Amino acid sequence: MRRDQQPRPKSPPADFAHIEIGNNAQRLPLVLCLDTSHSMRGTPIESLNEALRSWTRDLRDDVSLSASVEIAVITFGGQCVNAWQGPYPLPPQAGVSPFVSAGAFQPPQLMASGVTLMTEALELAMQIVMARKQELRQSGLQHYRPQICLVTDGIPTDRNGHPTDRWRRLVPVLSHEQQERRFRLYAIGVGGVTSHGAQVLEALAPKFNARLEGFPFRDLLQMMSASASAEQKGAGDEVFEKIFSRFTQRPAWEH
Amino acid sequence: MSGRGDGIVNGRGERRRTAWRVHGLSVTGYRHRRDGVPCQDAWRADDTGPVTVLAVSDGAGSRSRSAEGSKIAVKLATDRFGRRVSGRRTEATAVHGLLRAAYREVRDEFLRQTAEAPDDFAATLTVVVLAPTWIGHLSVGDGFVLLRAGVEDGEPQFHLLPTAPEVSEYSNETVFLTSSDAEKWVRTACVRDSGVDGVLLSTDGLAQAALANSHGRPQIPNASFASTMFASLENAGDDPHADTEALAAFLRSDRVTAVNADDKTVLRAVRS
Repeated sequence: MRRDQQPRPKSPPADFAHIEIGNNAQRLPLVLCLDTSHSMRGTPIESLNEALRSWTRDLRDDVSLSASVEIAVITFGGQCVNAWQGPYPLPPQAGVSPFVSAGAFQPPQLMASGVTLMTEALELAMQIVMARKQELRQSGLQHYRPQICLVTDGIPTDRNGHPTDRWRRLVPVLSHEQQERRFRLYAIGVGGVTSHGAQVLEALAPKFNARLEGFPFRDLLQMMSASASAEQKGAGDEVFEKIFSRFTQRPAWEH
Repeated sequence: MSGRGDGIVNGRGERRRTAWRVHGLSVTGYRHRRDGVPCQDAWRADDTGPVTVLAVSDGAGSRSRSAEGSKIAVKLATDRFGRRVSGRRTEATAVHGLLRAAYREVRDEFLRQTAEAPDDFAATLTVVVLAPTWIGHLSVGDGFVLLRAGVEDGEPQFHLLPTAPEVSEYSNETVFLTSSDAEKWVRTACVRDSGVDGVLLSTDGLAQAALANSHGRPQIPNASFASTMFASLENAGDDPHADTEALAAFLRSDRVTAVNADDKTVLRAVRS
């Protein structure tokens, strides 16, 4: 009989499974500031809804973004500006944060009608970003630089649908906030945005503005995810510019 | 003993005949695995007589040669800090000065070795010196150190050594060895407590898993993380390779990745 045939009892490797990890991922607030005015009716708003649904699925499956990115949707259409918490519109002054973790986000079903209160929508976007940063700080969570993405096919109007210059009051504010690196603003004109509309977007977001053919919402949202990943990596400004120009200059057949 | 990339093969070291048992491991984070980028974290541990020097470093994600930078940083750190401390009896009161002097040596040599373009090699550096009567800590950037010392109500107590002040509103911005004003941001600490029987160094990739929130910043150790990390080194299984694999699997797991997808490094020492 040979000895040493009995396997020595082995003590198993350490078990790390019971380590408790709360979700204190560094947060990346992302605001979609979307035009839902009358001119977006029909195919444009349908393709926006569809793009939001597929983007939501992609984000949920991305293990590096799902716990970190927080999404808020602001729409400007009808007669007012609305903040949405996932699929639900929040009443004005609700005192509730519209931000929802990407892992739990469900997109709203948007409808198009009414006027283009772009100025008010951007003001609300800045306001909710500021409030969210404060909440995060209070709960001990760190955050990356937030992203605001404005998408429109028109020009800013007042409540009666008349073009207005009120957006000009935002230019110095946005410029200062961007300089202080409080957030990154993207302003994208889609569909038949006029050259005046494009000038407005350029004034609002001098670095990240574009006037695009058609309604490439899917690519646009993917660009926002790519920027979010770059932000997490601590990428330099040139990387964001590259991601943006890759999106705006993609080949025509992808439009 | 040093860490390179995933470091499983090299990072298996268990040391005997010294006061401390040491184990280090770096794993490539999800984002770098996905993008085919090598691990930019590095660790290294060296014994110099009665002194053990531990170092971890995190290469800046946005710099082209930071994976090399972090390796140079930990190599220089264990070497220079070890040389400064060994062979002389240092009173605890002189430790801060000694650590800073060693830091300047490391920085100068780092800049000399990377003279072609130091910023491309940008990396943070966190060093712990385990001397017989004191523990010294020096950090530039956002690495952090946990200690285990004492027992209260039957539970071991964990402590986070003071971390660097935040340099900006955003947590992903930090200071590197190569930063022009880095010396201003250097933190040192000296602990004289013979009750310290566990030390853990990490880069910021594990901050969310290893630390719990408290009063506006993640500032207290996550006890379940810390206790498991120390206990698993003290009560190692029979197969060191399996132990390292289990730790690597945890560091690469979805739940750790979800709170931070960056590279991860854990360098632990427990009294043997």
